[in-house]
Amino acid sequence: MSALANLLQGLGSGGPDHKYSGNKPPVNQRDGAAGSSARRLTSVCLLMVAAALLALFGADLQVYSVDPWQELSRIGLGLVQPSWDDLPSLLQALAHTIAFALLAVALAAPLGLLLAMVFHWLPVRLLCAAVRSVHELFWGLIFMQLYGLSATTGLLAILVPFTGMFAKVFAEIFEQQQPEPVQTLPPAAGALKRYIYTLIPQSWPALISYSRYRFECALRSSAILGFIGLPTLGFHLETAFKQGHYSEAGALLWVFLLLIASIRWWLRPQLLPLYLLAAIWLLPETIGFSDGGSLWRFISVDILPTALRQGDGGELLDWLQMMFSEQVWPGLVQTLLLTQIAVVLSGVVVLVCYPFASRALAGPVMRWPGRFLLLVLRSTPEMVMAYVLLLLCGPSGLPVVLALGLHNGGLIAFLVANASDAEHKSPLARPDDPKGIKRYAYVETPRRFPAMLAFLFYRWEVILRESAIMGILGVVTLGFYIDSAFEEIRYDRAFLLIAVTALLNILVDTLSRRLRRFAHADSRLAKQSRNTSINCH
Amino acid sequence: MSILRRLQQLPLIAALLLSGLAQADTFVFTAIPDEDESRLQQRFGKVADYLSEQLGVEVRYIPVKSYAAAITAFRNDQVQLAWFGGLSGVQARGLVPGSEALAQGFEDQSFKTYFIANTSAGVEPADTLTDALKGKTFTFGSKGSTSGRLMPEFYLREQFDAAPEKIFSRVGFSGDHSRTIAQVQSGAYQIGAVNYSVWDSELQQGKVDQSKVQVIWTTPTYPDYQWSIRGDVDARYGAGFKEKVRAALLEMNDPALLESFPRQSFVPASNDDYAPIEATAKAIGLLDE
Amino acid sequence: MSDKLASSEVLFQLTNQSLSYGNHRVLDDISLTIRRGEKVALLGPSGAGKSTLLNLLHQQQSQCSALQPQGGGLVDLLSVYQNIFIGGLDRVGTLAALWNLLRPLAAQRSAISELAQVLGLEDKLWQSVDRLSGGQRQRVAIGRALFRQQSVYLGDEPVSSLDPLQAQALLTHVLNQHETAVISLHNRQLALDNFDRIVVLQEGRLCCDCPPSALSAGQLDSYYQQDSSPVAEQSAPANEGWVIRTS
Repeated sequence: MSALANLLQGLGSGGPDHKYSGNKPPVNQRDGAAGSSARRLTSVCLLMVAAALLALFGADLQVYSVDPWQELSRIGLGLVQPSWDDLPSLLQALAHTIAFALLAVALAAPLGLLLAMVFHWLPVRLLCAAVRSVHELFWGLIFMQLYGLSATTGLLAILVPFTGMFAKVFAEIFEQQQPEPVQTLPPAAGALKRYIYTLIPQSWPALISYSRYRFECALRSSAILGFIGLPTLGFHLETAFKQGHYSEAGALLWVFLLLIASIRWWLRPQLLPLYLLAAIWLLPETIGFSDGGSLWRFISVDILPTALRQGDGGELLDWLQMMFSEQVWPGLVQTLLLTQIAVVLSGVVVLVCYPFASRALAGPVMRWPGRFLLLVLRSTPEMVMAYVLLLLCGPSGLPVVLALGLHNGGLIAFLVANASDAEHKSPLARPDDPKGIKRYAYVETPRRFPAMLAFLFYRWEVILRESAIMGILGVVTLGFYIDSAFEEIRYDRAFLLIAVTALLNILVDTLSRRLRRFAHADSRLAKQSRNTSINCH
Repeated sequence: MSILRRLQQLPLIAALLLSGLAQADTFVFTAIPDEDESRLQQRFGKVADYLSEQLGVEVRYIPVKSYAAAITAFRNDQVQLAWFGGLSGVQARGLVPGSEALAQGFEDQSFKTYFIANTSAGVEPADTLTDALKGKTFTFGSKGSTSGRLMPEFYLREQFDAAPEKIFSRVGFSGDHSRTIAQVQSGAYQIGAVNYSVWDSELQQGKVDQSKVQVIWTTPTYPDYQWSIRGDVDARYGAGFKEKVRAALLEMNDPALLESFPRQSFVPASNDDYAPIEATAKAIGLLDE
Repeated sequence: MSDKLASSEVLFQLTNQSLSYGNHRVLDDISLTIRRGEKVALLGPSGAGKSTLLNLLHQQQSQCSALQPQGGGLVDLLSVYQNIFIGGLDRVGTLAALWNLLRPLAAQRSAISELAQVLGLEDKLWQSVDRLSGGQRQRVAIGRALFRQQSVYLGDEPVSSLDPLQAQALLTHVLNQHETAVISLHNRQLALDNFDRIVVLQEGRLCCDCPPSALSAGQLDSYYQQDSSPVAEQSAPANEGWVIRTS
């Protein structure tokens, strides 16, 4: 870890000689910053790494001596020899997975676009921040109370948080557009015309590219929703893992991997209407309905603490105090600590993995194994990865941190490798650029670093949400208590805990934006990929 | 299923957000067996066919993942009949006034929990829970399970007069009885609490390596799984429907159907049979007073 | 061309070389020989194929030539020091190169500090290059090529962003530091004053290859004549737009 810190510190700045930098005359003060952009990035990185190192002391990362080899060899065998016996139900789960994801994104993207146009209104910003700060799984658990195990629950669980994310990212994409086209419009032209004639066409490629990326995320979310009972791939995956039927689990994982890997071949704009119709047809038959009564009951009774309903202030205080000291505080601390370590670990994974998938560093042929590795890392649901790691290192935060680090690191490494490949034949590349490790250290990594950091900061809040839900596996994060509350049919507790999780998310999101701005990671990312979009939420 | 029926889903988005969508009078039930949760739809589809034949109405099965989901479905009238664990049955009937326990498995009259230990933990089988357990790592089954959570926690509190987190160095929830056995066997946890019938059947199937994991204590017996039905079924499916369901369950004697649960037969049960479970749940704070 | 040069070793040799990107012919039947010791200026309108020709030449002698492509290929996040140092990466081992990212190697540091003084960048040595102006960045690129320490220099408009005095001074320095140089330029006068051979390209063809004494600035201008002037190009559509709007 500290080696990484040094590497980061070394990136570009060099200046170990304080006397030298001290004598330096005031440098180019374009934005009042120190002369080296690297220095700001470095200080932000150091801060993150230092926080992660501190977190190592507080986090629950105990390693247990376990004897997992029998189980692991069965898992390995299952992956190598997947079983296709139950093909019909596998295909049905696959169809449901795609249908939920497709419909949810098809609805969330336009809704998000509309909200992005009014994103300057504080209430809209707050609403979006609130809905996206709750993980899809928790939305699923909430909607399940209202609509049961149904198509409605599945759709809404993805649709609601995704709309918030689309709104935020689309608004950011608009912000990053060149201002000139807007400036040349007649000032009297209204906001809608401004969007339709300049900002939307200008950012169209970015909007489309982000929506595609989001669809991949939706597939993952849709699959994961099976873990709480919706009829997607996760339903069978969870059962197969729980029961130790690893060859069935293997088949499911392979199918999901192929699905993710093949998106770019089958997701064609002209086929979309057809797909959407098919998706509606493929939705599970059970349509959730609410007679309004259960919705009202949920809002007015279920989620309110008994003491509050009875207007007993003293008891309410007792309840809050009990919740805070026994669940909220310990869960919050573990969630934050594990998140911090996972974010830094993701960074390390990116730095280690991306060269193996980049054309410039691994070569046109050898990058394929690297690409495959990244595909596996980003396609395997974090929960499944954590689950297997739980067998390896015993029950603690360690499997969670490792799973989150590998998954998110793999995802960002994939994006970083893509950015590197996009530059492969551009004017920036020189025929006499160094090769191998020297190229990695002197050319590729410094060029990718700001974007990588921006991706990591974007991903920070996602990692936070994911460490929270990892509690479902039994690690004592906020999700552990939320899951318990749902299991114990104590929705008042669940609601309080989810609200705390959401607040924490909003805080981290704000902090991440501040740090990103401070490091200028944003503007560079925008500069580098104005037309390829920021694909990382 | 016909395409026509599928097409009816087209106005889905609008319909599902609105209220008052009339439900066809299909009788729906759910069940989570205590072991082998795979291929639920196929296995319980057969039970649905049997019930449909006996009751003369269309019967459907909905698979769920957790007791909580089953309870929610029961409460929201998405299912009218459910195969609950002892605790989840008490919780569900508490939320749906008028609902009652109809029948329980033959084995469920005197159910018990095994405490199991990895042999390397150095805890020997005994007649009581011993102090040797203190400071070890421990896993329950699912959080809402009677045999994997409620009863073991009750006896732990009774013996040590302390919360499980105070007795053990780490307390986990494996989520499932089979996982509990696997995790104690692998050493991920040193001690675990497991449903006795799951243990026995895994032992029989040769999935348990007795050189690595053994039973160290058995709880006293308690009532567990039962069929619970909503109180409003008679009004909806005709007078005497509830009793027809009870009869159909008690008369279920085809081993192919019974092995899905797995139980040798069903016997009558009532809400009162589960009073001890309710008291226990209140005693350890899983149910509010 | 002097006798001494005529007898020296041939470094670059192109015979009837053509090159196309799709339907677009970039180089058309080029034959060119460049010997050790020659200082060649490459002139011609934009898009005539100068950069492509330089790249071809670089492929022939990639080991012993210092290349300065257009834009410079700088690495934004790295400091001026590191960007210049990249030119000498092949002279240090991998471990030393990694260490140098953490702590600049003493020997390299003094060499590069000296170089920075020549380039007028001594006070920018530890700044990241993304914070520099265009002219400063170009000087860093020159620095990297100089730090390659090769006998052959291939530059693609290497001084285009510098002021006239700086351009002249640094061009002279580059030419002094390299035995052989092939440099594409837009500034005719710099070409006539500093080189002993002028090669002019036009639409991918080699249309003039002679010593500067045989050419005048006026003659050189004629090679640019067919190239439509940028002013005319810009004004035409603007007028049309105006006409359309008012009609």
